[in-house]
Amino acid sequence: MRIELEGVRHVYSPGTPFAVEALKDVSLGVEAGEVLGVIGGTGSGKSTLVQHLNLLLAPTAGRVLVDGEDARSVDRADLRRRVGLVFQSPEQALFAPTVEEDVAFAPQRLGLGEEEVRRRVRETLELLGAWHLATRSPFALSGGEKRRVAIAGVLAMGPEVLVLDEPTAGLDPHARSELIDLVVRLKASGMTVVFVSHDLDEVAEVADRVCVLEGGEVRAVGPPADVFYADPSMAPETMRVAAALGGACPAVGRPVRYRETLSVLGRVMGAAP
Amino acid sequence: MSGSVLRTLADLTSTFCEHLTYSYPGAAEPALSGVTFEIRAGEYVGVVGPNGGGKSTLVRLLNGLLAADSGRVRLAGLDPATEPFEVRRLVGVLFQNPDNGLVAPFVEDDVAFGLENLGVERAEMRERVREAIASVGLAGYERREPHTLSGGEKQRVALAGLLAVGPEVLLLDEPTAMLDAAGRREVLDRVRELARSRTVLHVTHHLEELFDADRVLVLNGGRLAADTTPGELFSDAELLRENRLVLPTVPRLAAELGLPFCRTPEELAAAVGKARDGSGVEAR
Repeated sequence: MRIELEGVRHVYSPGTPFAVEALKDVSLGVEAGEVLGVIGGTGSGKSTLVQHLNLLLAPTAGRVLVDGEDARSVDRADLRRRVGLVFQSPEQALFAPTVEEDVAFAPQRLGLGEEEVRRRVRETLELLGAWHLATRSPFALSGGEKRRVAIAGVLAMGPEVLVLDEPTAGLDPHARSELIDLVVRLKASGMTVVFVSHDLDEVAEVADRVCVLEGGEVRAVGPPADVFYADPSMAPETMRVAAALGGACPAVGRPVRYRETLSVLGRVMGAAP
Repeated sequence: MSGSVLRTLADLTSTFCEHLTYSYPGAAEPALSGVTFEIRAGEYVGVVGPNGGGKSTLVRLLNGLLAADSGRVRLAGLDPATEPFEVRRLVGVLFQNPDNGLVAPFVEDDVAFGLENLGVERAEMRERVREAIASVGLAGYERREPHTLSGGEKQRVALAGLLAVGPEVLLLDEPTAMLDAAGRREVLDRVRELARSRTVLHVTHHLEELFDADRVLVLNGGRLAADTTPGELFSDAELLRENRLVLPTVPRLAAELGLPFCRTPEELAAAVGKARDGSGVEAR
């Protein structure tokens, strides 16, 4: 499924003294099967933008297109099943006495049979490496475990697009890298992932394309190497090392991901001057 | 007790925990278990470890929000569990979420809030509020409304509110977790500056925030897994792995390339260039 924002503007509390223009004129496509990283500082409009992807927020002006069709004419419940949105700190929405029941909630709402619900719960929890937690209370889990269970609750609906809003905020580094691995696996399974973060290093690891928001506008969008190397002021550490070397050593190229950078640096060190 | 008497006491005595143990009601495992360490006045100490390791519990025990099941905590000779009000004059806590701590309509009122509770004279209060706001680099923000500020600015307002009370010890519980890169830099710059004149305990998941710390405590599973220096921690791969710690990108690249510790991308680039120009060191 392909989602497209077309000249989207969003104003909170329009027509009041508290009106805030969170998105100005955003046009952006989310391609089927890609990992799109959305980056930008606090207040740049990241969360507002992603809530338009399933019309949780409706544009003040402009349109959201789903496979070329105006999203307003698409069945709302169906759209929200197909575009799964994981909010910031999603663990705050955990509510059931056990992990199993919590993850089963959404598939049950979809009217699926008991057998199918059980299958999905197990499949999703296994995918997230959290099946062993199934009978535990979600409230007694660690921060990283809670986060994964909350994501499982959305994945169990079987979305085509998964939107993760700051999924690693507040997690320890180990739990962060587990989440990054999850995004890689989801992509491999054919899912489209929109990954919102203000951590550039993290986005650099997983994104096929990045979109940089600033003051409610798209400042840049494209493959990570193009975006980051065009503007070193907002580049991940890996790229800064390569950029600092690049002048003296053009063979460095434009690495972005960690592994890529490591092997480039290794080659440079091994090479004769 | 006047401020100067408290100051003398704080200088004379340190912050320490002795066999500190605490379990949350109904929990199977203790959140902290037999933790012992001492922080001398003026030290800058980092606290790291996995989620659920006991970091936040430690902060809550140090300022008396929780009372230990067994063991002792003392700050300047005071027990936070039995003398929480005295201790909270000495200890300021900065929490993770900048939106949860700000209460007043204007920045200056918010910064004055702690002083109002202490019954400080109006003229002195004005002076201390002004100084505190200036010391976090927000002079001119006095009449701004907190909700119009960025995350980094809000955290600095919260920090000013702590400083106005004149604490000897600052407890920072993941103060940058909710901030973007710019906000994180703003807050960290202030923290480093404050750490020169105060005792600071800084809890974080980001090891790169602790490059300047005097010491680092590693808490894992409620136990003190290590009490070491940043340099030693960063070069001890096993200790890092055991405690689910991940080196920041630049030092991690340096370690994997077999280069000495590097802090900034520029340092690493220089080290890589030097290795190439030198003997053509084999890359691992």
